[in-house]
Amino acid sequence: MSTKKMLRNEAPLLEVKNLETAFDIEGTDYNAVDNVSFQVKPRQIVGIVGESGCGKSVMSLSIMKLLPKGIGKVKSGEIIFDGKNLEKMSESQINKIRGKDVSMIFQEPMTSLNPVFTIGYQLQEVLFNHMKISKQEARQKAIALLKSVGISRPEKLVDEYPHQLSGGMRQRVMIAIAIACQPKLLIADEPTTALDVTVQAQILELLKEIQAVNDMSVILITHDLGVVAEMCDEVIVMYAGRIVERADVDTLFHNPKHPYTTLLLGAIPKMDEQEERLSSIQGIVPSLTNMPKVGCRFAHRCPKAMPKCFTVTPVLGDIEQDHEVACLLYETSIPREGVK
Amino acid sequence: MEIVTQKDTNISAAPPKKSSSQWAIARKKFLKNKLALTSLIFLLFVAIISFLAPYITTADITRINIGEMSLEPSSKHWLGTDKAGRDVFTRLLYGGRISLLIGMSCTLFVIFLGTLIGSVAGYFGGTVDSLLMRFTDFILNFPFLVFVIVLNAILFGKVNGLWVLIGVISLLSWGGIARIVRSKILAEKENEYIIAAISIGCSPAKIIVKHLLPNVLSTIIVQATITFASMIVIESALSFLGFGVPQEIPSWGNMLDSAIEPDVLQFKLWIWMPPAILITITILSINFIGEGLKDAFNPKSRR
Repeated sequence: MSTKKMLRNEAPLLEVKNLETAFDIEGTDYNAVDNVSFQVKPRQIVGIVGESGCGKSVMSLSIMKLLPKGIGKVKSGEIIFDGKNLEKMSESQINKIRGKDVSMIFQEPMTSLNPVFTIGYQLQEVLFNHMKISKQEARQKAIALLKSVGISRPEKLVDEYPHQLSGGMRQRVMIAIAIACQPKLLIADEPTTALDVTVQAQILELLKEIQAVNDMSVILITHDLGVVAEMCDEVIVMYAGRIVERADVDTLFHNPKHPYTTLLLGAIPKMDEQEERLSSIQGIVPSLTNMPKVGCRFAHRCPKAMPKCFTVTPVLGDIEQDHEVACLLYETSIPREGVK
Repeated sequence: MEIVTQKDTNISAAPPKKSSSQWAIARKKFLKNKLALTSLIFLLFVAIISFLAPYITTADITRINIGEMSLEPSSKHWLGTDKAGRDVFTRLLYGGRISLLIGMSCTLFVIFLGTLIGSVAGYFGGTVDSLLMRFTDFILNFPFLVFVIVLNAILFGKVNGLWVLIGVISLLSWGGIARIVRSKILAEKENEYIIAAISIGCSPAKIIVKHLLPNVLSTIIVQATITFASMIVIESALSFLGFGVPQEIPSWGNMLDSAIEPDVLQFKLWIWMPPAILITITILSINFIGEGLKDAFNPKSRR
């Protein structure tokens, strides 16, 4: 707990302010991420959870400026990393940051490595991009990196091709590439979704270890609350492009405030209870094109919905110290007059 | 993916240092394809004797010899002489030089231009893509023959005829390659490893050259062989019509030119048959090589 208190007072490493990311669908802009603000402190692991289609991945792509060209764009808001506004940067400026200060791990380890190059080549590429380093040194460093992500025969593996590796191994290689230049921030976009459970545990363990050794911040995007409980310091719950609740991990698990969070937690299967059916949240996340314009976006699935939920848009308000919720059940979320 | 036959695994006790890449697998497959291999050897043979022509034969290719007009094949002139008294065999060798040179350089230019324009259009998309592709359509719709004839007439005598021809053919032929490369790049760039490459700070130029092109190279190589064959045909056709290589330079197409006369066509087979046969076999073997490469690069073929 003491480390967490310490974290609170530090200047944030990443600050996202009122981020709006839109997709252009047949000439109209639809916001996939709507007015999202949060901070990541140095050495903090922030989990972002939510169902599929909640805008988690889109948000991470916005931070890295990796949105599909011509279709997705950041409409407004600021992304301030280490004092610099990433949104105002040119392509070549951001290329100096990508892979060096901020790097990313993707969901699909099977397709995230280029099939025509050896593992060593792809590891060395990031080193050559950001460091002045000789070929020999780069190779040594690549081997050391592979060793650090728990690969047992790195000297041999550097000369192998991605198709010779298993999924877990590939994800380890992806992690090695991501941490090669010791970034300050690592964005892990569902790093374990494509892996089986035993490998999942190993990869998470590895990520935690690396985070501690390298003193980096991590944004962990997942829809697995178990992963969040194990890894994160702080949790952000997203629904339909908006943040509905933000709290530190203990608070969120023991004292969830938003009905959506409660239902998400309720949907985790429990080992000690004999249940015929797993509980689920009825309905689905509304698609981008028929998102409700006003009101709470969760209202039509919410068991506690009130009439005003469909007409008043809740705002994110501090319900207690470091615990924000956007739900009209709480007074802090009722928008004040004159404020949208 | 890797094909290791039972025998190989038994024999090689020590595993190879670098594991076989896509290229090594393709090479292995290609070498197993007898037809393609024979074709490759034939093509190399033709190329080598053509380029060594000055050392193989000493006869003058340009001097007109009235005393030896239209001679039948003999021990002195292996393939006889043409209507100007020039040795057909010698001209055939020198002609191969020109035909292969034109085919080769046109192919290089065409592949370079097509790949450049196709990959830039495919990778950047949007306005860049539309502009480049409309330009490509424009080039593809150009009346090729008319343009070549007019341009040749304008530039005749001002620039070395051979390079004019190479330039004109190349500038008008890259459209198809550009379209193929673009479509390949469009499919390839959606792969996650491209986003991953961007996320480690690779510039667009680096992404195209280092990540996308190696993945579409197999297609480009196959296209290059087919282009090579068609370039030789185009050269022959233009020269046959008299709009190609200047008359004083022998090329396979130029040698066919004399077959326009009914007398030569009917009774002096030795004048036009050798280049005709050589063109046919060369193009056939290039196509076999292309076919072999296509099989070799296709992971689904098990030949």
